[in-house]
Amino acid sequence: MSYNDYSADENRPAHAGGQHSPIPVHFHSEINELYQPEQAELHLASLLTDLGERNLYDAAAQCSRCGYCETVCPTYMLTGRETLSARGRNQFVRMLVEGRAARVSDSAEALSTCLLCGACSSACFARVPTPDIVLEGRRSMTGHGNGLFARAAIRALLDAPKLFAFWLKLAYLAKRTGLPRLAAKMGLYDFIGMPALSGAEAAVTDAPLRFAAELLRRDPELSAGAGRRADWGYFAPCGPNYIFTEVAMATVRVLKRHSGQGIFFDNQCCGLMAHNYGRLEEAREFARRNIARYEELRERFGDFKVIADCSSCAAFMKSYEQLFTADREWRPRARAFAEAVRDILEFIPPERACRAAGGAPGEGAVTYHDSCRACHGQGIRREPREVLRKLAGDRYRELPESDWCCGGAGAYAFTKPELSSRILDRKLRNIASVQASTVVVGATSCLAQIGGGLRRAYPSAKAVHYSVFLDAAGAEHEKNVAR
Amino acid sequence: MFKKDRISAVRRELEAVVGRQNVRTDEAEILMYSYDAGMARGRPEVVVNFSSAAQVAPVIRVLHKAGLPFLPRIAGTNLSGGTIPLKGGAVLNLAALKKIRSIDTAAGLALTEPGVVNLELQKALEPFGYFYAPDPASQKVSTIGGNIGENAGGPLCLKYGVTADNVEKLEVVTPEGEVRTWSYRDKGPDLMGLMIGSEGTLGIVTAAWLKILPIPPHIKTASASFASLDDAMRAVTRVISAGILPRALEAMDRVSIETALAGRPGHFPPGTEAVLIIELDGHDAVKVKSDLEAVHRICRDNACALFRIAGDEAERELLWQARKGSYPALARLAPDVLVEDGVVPRPRLPEALRRTREILSRYKLTAGLLFHAGDGNLHPNIVFDRRDADEVRRVKKAGYEILKECIDLGGTISGEHGIGVEKRVAMNWLYGKAELDFFHSIKRALDPAGLANPDKILPVAAEKPSPADAFTSQDRYGLSPAARDVVDELRLRASAGTRTAVTGLGTRLKPERIMEGARPLDLSRLSGLVELDGENLTAKAEAGLSMTDLRAALKKAGFRLDLPRLSGSVGGLIASKVCPEIRSLLLGLDVVTAEGALLQLGGKTVKNVAGYDAVRLFCGSFGAYGVILSATFALSAGEDAPAGDFREPAGWDLFEPEEGHRRLKRELDPRNLLNPWVYGDKA
Repeated sequence: MSYNDYSADENRPAHAGGQHSPIPVHFHSEINELYQPEQAELHLASLLTDLGERNLYDAAAQCSRCGYCETVCPTYMLTGRETLSARGRNQFVRMLVEGRAARVSDSAEALSTCLLCGACSSACFARVPTPDIVLEGRRSMTGHGNGLFARAAIRALLDAPKLFAFWLKLAYLAKRTGLPRLAAKMGLYDFIGMPALSGAEAAVTDAPLRFAAELLRRDPELSAGAGRRADWGYFAPCGPNYIFTEVAMATVRVLKRHSGQGIFFDNQCCGLMAHNYGRLEEAREFARRNIARYEELRERFGDFKVIADCSSCAAFMKSYEQLFTADREWRPRARAFAEAVRDILEFIPPERACRAAGGAPGEGAVTYHDSCRACHGQGIRREPREVLRKLAGDRYRELPESDWCCGGAGAYAFTKPELSSRILDRKLRNIASVQASTVVVGATSCLAQIGGGLRRAYPSAKAVHYSVFLDAAGAEHEKNVAR
Repeated sequence: MFKKDRISAVRRELEAVVGRQNVRTDEAEILMYSYDAGMARGRPEVVVNFSSAAQVAPVIRVLHKAGLPFLPRIAGTNLSGGTIPLKGGAVLNLAALKKIRSIDTAAGLALTEPGVVNLELQKALEPFGYFYAPDPASQKVSTIGGNIGENAGGPLCLKYGVTADNVEKLEVVTPEGEVRTWSYRDKGPDLMGLMIGSEGTLGIVTAAWLKILPIPPHIKTASASFASLDDAMRAVTRVISAGILPRALEAMDRVSIETALAGRPGHFPPGTEAVLIIELDGHDAVKVKSDLEAVHRICRDNACALFRIAGDEAERELLWQARKGSYPALARLAPDVLVEDGVVPRPRLPEALRRTREILSRYKLTAGLLFHAGDGNLHPNIVFDRRDADEVRRVKKAGYEILKECIDLGGTISGEHGIGVEKRVAMNWLYGKAELDFFHSIKRALDPAGLANPDKILPVAAEKPSPADAFTSQDRYGLSPAARDVVDELRLRASAGTRTAVTGLGTRLKPERIMEGARPLDLSRLSGLVELDGENLTAKAEAGLSMTDLRAALKKAGFRLDLPRLSGSVGGLIASKVCPEIRSLLLGLDVVTAEGALLQLGGKTVKNVAGYDAVRLFCGSFGAYGVILSATFALSAGEDAPAGDFREPAGWDLFEPEEGHRRLKRELDPRNLLNPWVYGDKA
């Protein structure tokens, strides 16, 4: 333990991060009592923060403890406990790094309850990347990332996607044939992240037996023609691919309708799950494969945008560079890939979305829920609202606390059912307060969580993915034209 | 560090009150409550979470019985280490007590629990067209309980007063676990006022009745950019002395503006070194407009580069975001910020500023300068990294030197952030031994076991002033010969044990009240207007001066006191509290205690949270705590508005002391020498 044994190094080169505007490190310290150098592989080499590239200690130390994050941190707002607050978590990791907190295990409750929603970073003037800092803390916990599901599923997803797909279909079959408990045992709900709902009303009402990738591979419009250029490549995130197939298909239809020619990326999982569940090496491998795939497609089709329709994945892919800060070969490649990534929420400009649309589908009020990884992760707030306002006109209502997390947050609902349901309840109350009948979302975790919550508590409203909403508006228009 | 069994002995009792999961001693919880937004650190032994305000008193009783120290903590945004448990014990986490229990627009009151975030209250009031005036820059996160504990100000306090001026009534749990409800209107010494700004060292607030006001129909916000900070400060002084009372008058320097507006440049012209934010409000649109024009003229005459009236709510919002975001935004420059909080009489601001900048450059430090310019309250926010030991040393030295300069300019060491632990030592520079002893006796009276947030505000034994620190002493008080006579006489009587009946113009003291053996002390000769500082808008009057004469003298000089037409002497009006509102204009008091100690409390600044609010304690003291020699009032510029005669409330002197009053009496006048009939011999 060497709290005072730091070394000032004012000549440290400014970071090489691309899109960030660097502010020179005021003071720099290499202290790290959180993990041993030989465990460095399990951790990020550095964090790409809003202020530039920082090691974990410098990034955590940037927090001035002003407390503004506590006004938006869902777990703090519900419990009033510093231990369950963004500032608290960040201070905790800092103390671990400094060696002032001795045992990582003491931080278990604080770190495991974090939703990783990133509301804290949005509220923070210094944009301290608390979710990344929390993940770094989690990664040093013994056994983290070694759970049966994490190991088996992620390995299968990585090395044997076909086996994974087969296994998942078996689970779906079990569910369809009325064996939800068997489905639960097969890890279906773990995968979806909605196990708390695995009772009667499961999140997934319509389990697909044919995944999006399989359908899209067969779409001739999306396959390679000689010398053809592409404006976009559809990246199928796991949610739309394996669970909400209709979302993937809607996204592709919307892209075709509004954005010219495109291709199917035929991707691997983005690696977010591996990343968040402590399997950083596998996350890097997912990323490398997707990056390589991107480069290969770019060779053939020229520059194109990589479009994803789950904000969690889009946000994660935009941060690929952070996985490779110590990797001279992959870092620039990751950055180039990240710069091509777009969330469907930001990709379709309002004038295009509305040109061929026939107004908002359905009836009643339409509102928009900011998925955490869209608003906090990517700063996307304005774009989808402009589209929805234009489509829905005065049927559009602004949702109070629209960027309050829904509590889905991956497997959070399973690991922290009590907190998760209190977080969801607040979201549902807000939805009810504007008497919405349609809640538009941009991430599949929110789609499942809010959808499940509405079916239970407020069945006259439903959660609809942004793409599905746009697609329906477009279809409406085509119908009108045909008439 | 602490004996573990201190907590296990009381754990079951605590759990019985708040539930098992709310008594926490796990390492994580202890660590998370060992810091706040300041520099100090200290580990509690237990963290108690509350789910109901009614749990506070029983928990305090358990802790008191066990002799365990405790302190309240909510958002933990304290800037002076006030919420750091220096002696271990319990941190009482009141964050979940965040109900707004009622909003009563007819009575102009909102009843809230301590954990209500200031801005949440404002949002709740807005639909009714009301607001709560104290608006500290941290209002997005800081809470009513914390605001009361620190006597928070904010931009609007220029016109509407600090927290102490905006609280009607408090429910307080005493350090022994008794529940009391005190209002400043209660007869006798103002215990409610004493609680405000006491940083949890005298009791814990569990409910607050706050004054709420209708949002004025006309609000105009403007910004004025200057190429020199000095020009901006001159404009501030000119605005105030022109008799214009803006609702807010704030100043920011270049570093603060650039940091807060990061990514949104272009709002102010290039070369801007200082920006003033001026906001005017009122019910009369014409008056607001003409005031705004006058402000514009003054700014132009003082070399303002650009004067811009906010065209819409968005632009107004941007200005306030820049102002209120200045402190948290500094986190972009460096991880730690020392938020200094000195106050000087307003006309001394340019000088304070010059000295501050000189100190900062001598220590090679970066700071964003922020001012509640209208109040003379300056916040040099010095950025640093606590991991850099050398820088920390320089920052501390610079901070202390800035405070010493503020004292030197007739100001004080904290306007709104409190003393906590980080400015404890600076109390030695501001006050002499007499005042510090006096503050200690207040603490002893109300918390004899010394368990409520111990070792805060007042210097501890190890910080006793060294001779070098003693550059302020009682000699600095230039007393009039008449006042000196009174001091000498009281000292004589103290040594002889003679009892005194304080009399002024004979308005208040009823002859039948005088007990046998109490010798009258005539203050009617104490009738000077000691000082009239027109630029600073303050006047210091001796206790025997009649209010009518004071008014007349002020009127002649073009000033007024915003009070009803009161009759009697200055001292008598304060001591009898026939008009409780007198407290809001009272900035300072010179007092002689029963034992002959001379106290100078408060001063010439409109904000002062250094030490307990003893000035207000003397409101309603009936001459039994000390003899008031003189009082400093805040003035307004301009003609007296025709005011109706003041009807004194009947029975103003029917005062039945309660336990707190008696204990204070025992500490301040143990031999019951002053106006002995007030407490009788059972005091």
